[in-house]
Amino acid sequence: MKTFFVFVFFVATSLSAMAQEVVNHLLIARNLGEKVMHDGLSLRTFGFAQTLNEQPPIPGPTLYANEGDSVVLDLFNVSQGAPHTIHLHGLDVNQENDGVPHLSFEVHHMDHGFYYFVAPHPGTYFYHCHVVSSIHVQAGMYGVFIVKPSDGSNTTWDGGYAYDQDRLFTMSEMDPIWHEDSVLEHPHDTTVEVHDISIPAYNPTYFLVNGKSEQQLLEPEIALQTSKEAVSFLRMANIGYLANRITFPSELNATIVSTDGRPIMPAEVSDTLWVLPGERYGVLIEPLVDLMDSISISYVNMNTHLSENIQYIPVNVSGTNSLVELNQDLGFKLYPNPSDGAVFIVAPEGIPYTGLKVLNSLGQVVYSELEIKQSNQSQILNLDLNQGSYSIEVLYENQTIDVLKWIKK
Amino acid sequence: MNRILICFLFLSIGLYGLSNQILDTLYINQGFFQTFNGSTISYKSFNSASDFDKTNAILTYSSIDTVSLTLINNDVISHQFRSASLGVSSVVIAPGSQANISIHAEQAGTYIYYDGQDYPNNKNLGLAGMIVFKNSNAASFYWNLKELDTLWVNELSNGITPSAIYNPKFFLINGNHNPNINLDPLARVVGNVGDTILIHISNTGNASHSLHFHGYHLKLLQSSEHPYQEGRIKDTFPIHPMQTLTLQMVPHQPGEYPVHDHNLVAVTGANLYPNGMFLTMLITP
Repeated sequence: MKTFFVFVFFVATSLSAMAQEVVNHLLIARNLGEKVMHDGLSLRTFGFAQTLNEQPPIPGPTLYANEGDSVVLDLFNVSQGAPHTIHLHGLDVNQENDGVPHLSFEVHHMDHGFYYFVAPHPGTYFYHCHVVSSIHVQAGMYGVFIVKPSDGSNTTWDGGYAYDQDRLFTMSEMDPIWHEDSVLEHPHDTTVEVHDISIPAYNPTYFLVNGKSEQQLLEPEIALQTSKEAVSFLRMANIGYLANRITFPSELNATIVSTDGRPIMPAEVSDTLWVLPGERYGVLIEPLVDLMDSISISYVNMNTHLSENIQYIPVNVSGTNSLVELNQDLGFKLYPNPSDGAVFIVAPEGIPYTGLKVLNSLGQVVYSELEIKQSNQSQILNLDLNQGSYSIEVLYENQTIDVLKWIKK
Repeated sequence: MNRILICFLFLSIGLYGLSNQILDTLYINQGFFQTFNGSTISYKSFNSASDFDKTNAILTYSSIDTVSLTLINNDVISHQFRSASLGVSSVVIAPGSQANISIHAEQAGTYIYYDGQDYPNNKNLGLAGMIVFKNSNAASFYWNLKELDTLWVNELSNGITPSAIYNPKFFLINGNHNPNINLDPLARVVGNVGDTILIHISNTGNASHSLHFHGYHLKLLQSSEHPYQEGRIKDTFPIHPMQTLTLQMVPHQPGEYPVHDHNLVAVTGANLYPNGMFLTMLITP
C-alpha cells in the first residue's frame, strides 16, 4: 500500500508539473508605428511588438498558453508618449492584473509592467491597452491570446472537438482621421479618471481581417485552404467598433461550438454568425465537397444597422489529402482586358488548369467550372455579365490557385 | 376522475392564493434633459411621481403579481402605454387624462414598456422603460440602455421626423453616463464573492450595444431575442434595440471591475473618456 501511495504521489507531482508550465511573453508598446493600407495609404499606428527593430504588427502577436500554465506577461513601454497597459479581455484575471489604469496600474515610458495569471479555460481571448482605450485600440494596440487545452493538443478543450488546423480571423476597422497626430498625441493626466481629449466622429474606411483588406485577403496567410477530410477550427474575433455578420458557404457545414472561451452546449449549426465588438466565437468547418468560394464578413454600423463594407476570406476546399496553396502567381493571362464580352484565358506554358471561377466585386460566384478537365491550356470565356470588375480564379493541377482582375466594359 | 377534479380545484385555489394584486401608478411627464456639456433638450419620461425625472421608472414585481397600473398623462399630447413582449396595450391617453391597465407576466423575466402612440417617435423622445417580473430573491440590478442623438430629439420635439443618419453622442444607462452610473444604486453592482447576482438589461435606444464584463463570465438566463442562447456563459453580451437580457453572476473573486460597451465609441461622450456606457462593479470578499 505504501508503495502504491508513493507511486500516486510521483504521478500526481509529475502531472502537476506538466500542467503548470511557466509561460513568459514580452510585448513592447510602440507609438510610432506605420501601417501601409491596401491602397497604399500609410497610417500612423500604435501597437505591440516583440523586438525593438520591428514595426508593431496589427493585430499584435498572437500569444499562446496551455490551460493551467502560469503566464508572466512583460509589458515594456518604449513609446515616448502616454502610458500603456494590458487588459486581458475575457481571461478574468484579478483586479491588480486587469489593466484598467485607475483600478490597477499603468506602465510609463521606459518602464516594465508585469502581469501574472493562470491560463483559464481553453479559448480565444483578447489583450489590448486600456489607457484611453477608444483611441489606443483604434490605434492598433490589440492582439489575441489563445489558451489551448492543458496538453496543448488540437482540440477545442479537454475532451472537446479534435481539429486538423486552427485559424484565427481578427476583425477590426481603421478610420484615418483617428490616426492623425492631433488624435494620437492626446494629453493624459494620470491623476484623473476621466480624460478630456479629442474624439472625432468614427467613420472607418478600412475594414480589416487580420489587419488586411481587399486584395490583401488573397494572400496565402489569410485564405482558408482545406480539404474534405480536414476539420478546421476557426476563431472569429471582433475587436472593432462595428458588428460583423459572417456568412459561411453552406458547403462548409459550419458549426458554432464556443464563445468567449466557453463551450456552447448544444453546438449551433448555422451558416450565419454575428460577432459584436469584444466577442469571440469558435467555429468548426467540415467541408462536404470541393469548392472555391469565400466567407463574407459584413461590417455593420452599431447605430444605423447598415452594412458599411463587406470583406471576403477566400475559401478553397480541394482534394482529400493535401491543402492547396492560393495565389501562386504562376502567370496565366487574360486578354483583352478590359473587354466588352469574351475574354481569352491562357494558362502558363505546361501548367494546365483544372477549374475556373468568376467572382463579382461582392465576391459572389457568377460562373464556375469545377469539374476536372484534361490539360486545359486555354479557352474563350463568353459570359453575359454586367459591366464591372471581376476576379477570375483558375485552379491548377498541382492544387494551386491563380487570380487575375478582369474589367467587363 | 373526481379525484383529479378535486386536485385541480385545490391547485387552482392554491395558485390563486399565491397571486398578488398590486396597485401602481405611472406618470407621463415632459421636462428637459441637461447634458453634461451644457445642452438642454426637451425630453419625456414615464415616472413614478408627477415630477419629471429623466430616468424612466424601473418597475419590479414578483412573477406571481398581477399589476393594476394607473397611467396619468401630464403631457400636452396623447400617449399610450404598451409592452409588446407582455402583450399589453392601454387605450390612447389624452393630455390630462388617465387610464388603467392590468399586467401579468406568463413567466419571470425582463420586459420593456414604451409609448405605443406615434411609435417610434415618442419612444425616441425618451418614453421607454423596463419592467421586471422576478421569481428569485437574488440581489438584482437594472440597466436601461439608451443613446441620445440631440439633433434627432430636438427635431422630434418640434414635430419633425429626423432625416439625418442616427448619430448619437451620448450613451446612457438609466439616464446616466460614467461616472454618474456608479451613483445609481439600481445600476451599480455591489455584492460579495459567492453571491448570486442578477442583472436585468433592456435596450430602449436605437443602437446595438455589446457589454463586456471585466473579471467575470456570466450566465445568460434570459434573452428576448435569442431564447435558444439561454444558458451560455460569456463575458461579452450583445443587445439589440428593444430587446432584453437577464444575466446571472456569481463572483469568484473580489475587486472593482468595469463593465462597458465594447463599441468603444460608446464609452466616450463629447470628448470625454471614459464617459457613456461604463460603470464598475464592486465585489467584496
